[in-house]
Amino acid sequence: MTAQPASKTVSKLTPAKPAAAPVAAGVLAAVAPELSGMIRVLTCGSVDDGKSTLIGRLLWDATDLYDDQRETLQKGKKVDGGNPDFSLLMDGLVAEREQGITIDIAWRYFDTATRRFVVIDSPGHEQYTRNMASGASHADVAIMLIDARHGIKRQTRRHAAILDLVGVKRVVLAVNKMDLAEWSEERFRQIETDFRSLSWRFGFWEAIAIPVAAVSGDNVAEGSKRMPWYTGPTLLKHLESLPSRVTDSSGPFRFPVQTVLRDIRNDFRALAGTVSSGTVRVGETLTDALSKRSAKVLRIATMDGDLAEASTGRAVAIQLDTDLDVARGAVMAKPDNKPAIARSLETKLVWLNETAFDPRGAYLLRTATDLIPVSHIEIRALLDLETLASNPSTVCGVNDIALAHIALGRGAAIDTFADAPETGSFMLVDAVTGASIAGGVVTEVSEAVAKASADTFILTRAMLERGLCADLRQSGTASGDGEAEFRRRANEVALILRAAGVAVEIESPPDYSI
Amino acid sequence: MTAAISHLDLLEAESIHIFREAAAQFRKPVLLYSIGKDSTVLLHLARKAFWPARLPFPVLHVDTKWKFREMIAFRDKTVRDFDLDLIVETNEDGIAKNVNPFDHSPSVYTEVMKTVPLKAALDKYAFDAAFGGARRDEEASRAKERVFSFRAEGHRWDPRRQRPEMWRLLNGRLGAGETVRVFPLSNWTERDVWRYILREKLDVVPLYMAAKRPTIIRNGQLLMRDDERMKLKPGEVITERMIRFRTLGCYPLTAAVESDATDLESVVAETLGARTSERQGRLIDHDQAGAMEKKKQEGYF
Repeated sequence: MTAQPASKTVSKLTPAKPAAAPVAAGVLAAVAPELSGMIRVLTCGSVDDGKSTLIGRLLWDATDLYDDQRETLQKGKKVDGGNPDFSLLMDGLVAEREQGITIDIAWRYFDTATRRFVVIDSPGHEQYTRNMASGASHADVAIMLIDARHGIKRQTRRHAAILDLVGVKRVVLAVNKMDLAEWSEERFRQIETDFRSLSWRFGFWEAIAIPVAAVSGDNVAEGSKRMPWYTGPTLLKHLESLPSRVTDSSGPFRFPVQTVLRDIRNDFRALAGTVSSGTVRVGETLTDALSKRSAKVLRIATMDGDLAEASTGRAVAIQLDTDLDVARGAVMAKPDNKPAIARSLETKLVWLNETAFDPRGAYLLRTATDLIPVSHIEIRALLDLETLASNPSTVCGVNDIALAHIALGRGAAIDTFADAPETGSFMLVDAVTGASIAGGVVTEVSEAVAKASADTFILTRAMLERGLCADLRQSGTASGDGEAEFRRRANEVALILRAAGVAVEIESPPDYSI
Repeated sequence: MTAAISHLDLLEAESIHIFREAAAQFRKPVLLYSIGKDSTVLLHLARKAFWPARLPFPVLHVDTKWKFREMIAFRDKTVRDFDLDLIVETNEDGIAKNVNPFDHSPSVYTEVMKTVPLKAALDKYAFDAAFGGARRDEEASRAKERVFSFRAEGHRWDPRRQRPEMWRLLNGRLGAGETVRVFPLSNWTERDVWRYILREKLDVVPLYMAAKRPTIIRNGQLLMRDDERMKLKPGEVITERMIRFRTLGCYPLTAAVESDATDLESVVAETLGARTSERQGRLIDHDQAGAMEKKKQEGYF
């Protein structure tokens, strides 16, 4: 459909206006407002509950859609008494459209007057637990959708458990299809009570229920004349009232180092990264948890000028007054509150890959900026998401939520998820295919070095330095990049040895505090 | 204690984070530079990510030889201003066979002059990662795109092989034969791109601003005649009109809009007040249903 009828398209051209006058600031502010914040909203529920319709309705009523999108929808097939099929706004991939289900996560963006809404749409069926978990990990708030006629089902309990696992702190229960439940207050109150008794079991900060009818829009963006007994906020109003995706900087300071930036011309060397928790100020002392070496913050640099301080979410470059030999993977912290040097972890993980857990498999642990060879994984139990009971198990497959013990091939700076989510979460990576096999949160960290058995081979730094990594010495010993490459090669050698059946331990870099 | 950060600051920080992750995890990345407004923002964010160091990777422009002349001039000035390593790739074989946007369908033309040379360049220089300016808000099939989008051997995109992404963690470990497209602007919208260009006072190609330009109307679309290679059909007349472009690409395939917005602020006001999504201006996307998804599976960016 390359050519469109001339009349149609040409008539769309902007009509000529008087000679270009400078646009008043007010006009610009009206069309492109500086939004004071952003919130990421996950939607979960099944197709039958009308989830795509609810979100489509929200987009439709929030007026941020383009005319061509509205036109497409109005020209499309009508559902439920002449309303456009709002679900078309959410469903994407061709394969999915053909199947009529949502199997992947879709991202949608819309603005109200004050804030950016990012809607993350995830599938609800049990076979898509993994998709929901990965979608939920990005969310600030989740809308759980249920059908008023059916009430809270096992799926609602599963969803709540997954949300809690990945760290979502605010949930909304949208009790949909109130039109099919005679707009009954009694029905809604009963569901609300059930929801309360469900949600208190989790670590949510806030959990509320709202009666809605997505098809007609009742209590979505507009209030409902048919449910005068409901005096709470509409769904949109509630979402707008939530705190923005800001920067809670109350946590302990954590700065996972991404890379080392250098400007030889100006003798500049700085650690680049994003503050993952807390705040740092110029003049404060920072410590590399692993080497225990400390230095003072000389500058917090950005291309737009230096900052006096940087809090959660800021991407900066930190220049220290002493050149620590710090590489990617290090986590800078305050001397009195450092992450643990983990040797083994207790974790909760969601298995994402079709390939089940293999006790002999080669795995790597990706943390905020580190990649650590795993020496041993022991699945201890599988979590029953409906009863929250843990059932002993040594196997784990796709969509399972498992409790697992993970022993690391070397020490790494890691927190518990409860203390510092970004430095307490991880992906488990298949060393051969590179696939992200599982995602998880750390519940306990142990610094105890497992007793090396007699047949454990210690891959020493000296051994690597003399041959395989000899070229890395040429650029000087105090090279952060050299250390990153050194670690990469050590990891690969360890993986090969492990595949050959050799138990390996990688020697840690020298501890400078001694 | 909380501190509010505007949504543009949040987006900027996220993009910088993505740039740094990719540069640290991949052996040999490249930035795909298409000269348009999204590329302008992409490049600016890359400079912020590595400042004060130079960009640790080159920029690649796939030149079909049908770009607007002003785009090429802007590209060369940008390369000088920011001291970039520029690689220009053209499908010389396609030129020799005279593959052009007039005699070939948009899908054939895109395949031969854009997709083929892009893949060839990625293979020739053995780039394992390529930064692109794609946004999830552009099109339905992109709404599900990952930040690290994996391509199998031959640059094929298979929706089933995409890796789940959780929290802020980005896993860039490659399997055999795999390469990655990295999308630092994933969570930006068209509105954000314009807002950011204004806020950061970025230069954009002057074609985004209205000026008197030689135009014709063909198939209901307003096109600019950038050079004599565009032959007039019977009944077509070249008329000077005040026009500007919402997107930039190959000039015979890029429709203009009539406008009096001669400065950036008016353009942004007009663009964001507009009620049609930007891809309407791109003729190739209307080619067939699910067009973008098919193109992606074939390796188009």
